[in-house]
Amino acid sequence: MSTVSATAARGQSARRLRIDGWRWGGRFFLVFMLLYTALPMIWMLLTSIKSGFAAMQFPPQWWPDQPTLASYQKLLDPQNSVGQDFLRFFWNSLIVSTATTILSVIVAVPAAYAFSRFTFPGRNFLFFAVLLRNMFPAVIFLVPLFILMRAIGLVNTHGSLVLTYLTFGLPLAIWLLKGFYDNIPVQLEQAARIDGATRFQAFVLIVMPLSTPGIIATAIYSFIGAWNEYIYAYTFLSKNEQLTLPVGIQRFFSENTTDFPGLMAASFMMSVPVVVLFLLLQRYFVRALTEGAVKH
Amino acid sequence: MTIATGKAEARRRLQPAGSSLLRKIWEHRADYAYVLPAIAVMLIVIAYPIYYTIELSFFNTPPGLQLRDKIFVGFNNYTAILTSGVFWQVTFNTLIWTIASTFFSFVLGFGAALALHRDFIGRGILRAILIIPWVISAVAASYIWKWIYHSDFGIIGAVLVELGWASRPPNFIDSVSTVLPSLIVVNIWREFPFAMIMMTAGLQTVPEQLLRAAKVDGASAWQRFWHVTFPHLRNVSTVTILLLAVANFNSFIIPWIMTGGGPSNASHIWITHIYELAFGRQRWGVASAYSVLLFIILMTLGYFYVRALSGNERKDGSA
Repeated sequence: MSTVSATAARGQSARRLRIDGWRWGGRFFLVFMLLYTALPMIWMLLTSIKSGFAAMQFPPQWWPDQPTLASYQKLLDPQNSVGQDFLRFFWNSLIVSTATTILSVIVAVPAAYAFSRFTFPGRNFLFFAVLLRNMFPAVIFLVPLFILMRAIGLVNTHGSLVLTYLTFGLPLAIWLLKGFYDNIPVQLEQAARIDGATRFQAFVLIVMPLSTPGIIATAIYSFIGAWNEYIYAYTFLSKNEQLTLPVGIQRFFSENTTDFPGLMAASFMMSVPVVVLFLLLQRYFVRALTEGAVKH
Repeated sequence: MTIATGKAEARRRLQPAGSSLLRKIWEHRADYAYVLPAIAVMLIVIAYPIYYTIELSFFNTPPGLQLRDKIFVGFNNYTAILTSGVFWQVTFNTLIWTIASTFFSFVLGFGAALALHRDFIGRGILRAILIIPWVISAVAASYIWKWIYHSDFGIIGAVLVELGWASRPPNFIDSVSTVLPSLIVVNIWREFPFAMIMMTAGLQTVPEQLLRAAKVDGASAWQRFWHVTFPHLRNVSTVTILLLAVANFNSFIIPWIMTGGGPSNASHIWITHIYELAFGRQRWGVASAYSVLLFIILMTLGYFYVRALSGNERKDGSA
């Protein structure tokens, strides 16, 4: 009897030891990932508050001797040319991303709903045709799209970017939202129809509110995609006053090759809006993926 | 999936095929209105470019000539590509880039999702920090890392010198042998959070009861993971890996901004090479032929992508 309990206890402690091993392994792993993720961003911030001279030293100043916000002031000051450009690029990015986001939602919601609810001929084919867009790199479409945009008079306008960005976001948006609609019982709509609502009313009043997390996730995804896009903006726009942030920053850097504090400050400020937006709304994003994409 | 579609499905099976297709399309005409905007946008931005690229790939477009004066050359562009040494070097780089980036992004992302699955104080903050690299722009990320790798003032080189592991800061992105691995590290930095989000979402669908039952039956942590958790995540893993592979295959910004493909093509991957051919050297015909080859590869990958996605669908009886 006592030997049995002794071996059982030993087995348990061995198991406890093994579990502890996993747990410690997990902790070390997380610390490693935290360093890998955060150190580059911390170094960006530290560099951005140095003077140009202090950044170019070897060995580097690990912590800036004389922290300064000069780079930020320069970028945000509408009086000088750098600040003027930066603020304009910022504004352009904001307009393009917002327009893309709104249009994405308007186009994706009905399409996803139809793919989820209706069984019209060619439904599966069209659904996967839309998804296939994600398979192709932007570069392939550059030349023909450029020619197309010239033909319809959109070159050097923000419209060309909005139209193109729309197609990046749509496949994932439709896919996510379809998953959402699949999980909303049809009976809810049917009940509304019996109570006298039209199909459209049932859609707007019953289905739309239930899919809000999906719509928010779609919107975030479109916004971030448009905010960060580089290749099309680089190719379609040539006028300085129309550039969006990623291209604008690249141009800034090619003119000021050694101004690393300025570059890091610009990179930081360009990242703030999307990071804040994402962190505020990330739980919707994870939830949308769980319910929309993963569960099925 | 739902009663309504189930019924429609049954009705469809009962009806004779063929002659009724047009009638069915007519019956469902209102349904198409919902998908029309999406399809129209896709057609404009995809179908036309694909057609034009294929056409252009059979033409020679000497620099300085108007695009409409192109010269028909048949398959010459294709043979020129397949016999050039650069093609094989770039293909090799692309394979290394895609496989290494996808593998490590997935493993690190999955690991982080698992390690963050158990609740502890600060988990939310930690998860948020780990996601940030995925959200910030690839252009910003490229510049941050370019500065970190800087051959005179880069922080990694300085740390190595400080620790006495190197006599002078090494050249990370200016040397043929280290440039590709250095860029892959940047790419993984940006991509692993995506795998983490997907796998976090996937982990939430693993039934707790099964794990608890396995624990009661004496399964070790590893056994519980391998026999319960992992099989539940097979679909999510497939989709995640495919999405990562496609995204990595199509990468452009990180190599383009950080090295422009250099030194001596050591960090050129397919997309940067195509871009340089088209916009750098104005060789639209060759660039288009490259794109068509890329299409063929991607369509093969795409076949598996769609199969993985529709595999998800079929499991619960819909579609």
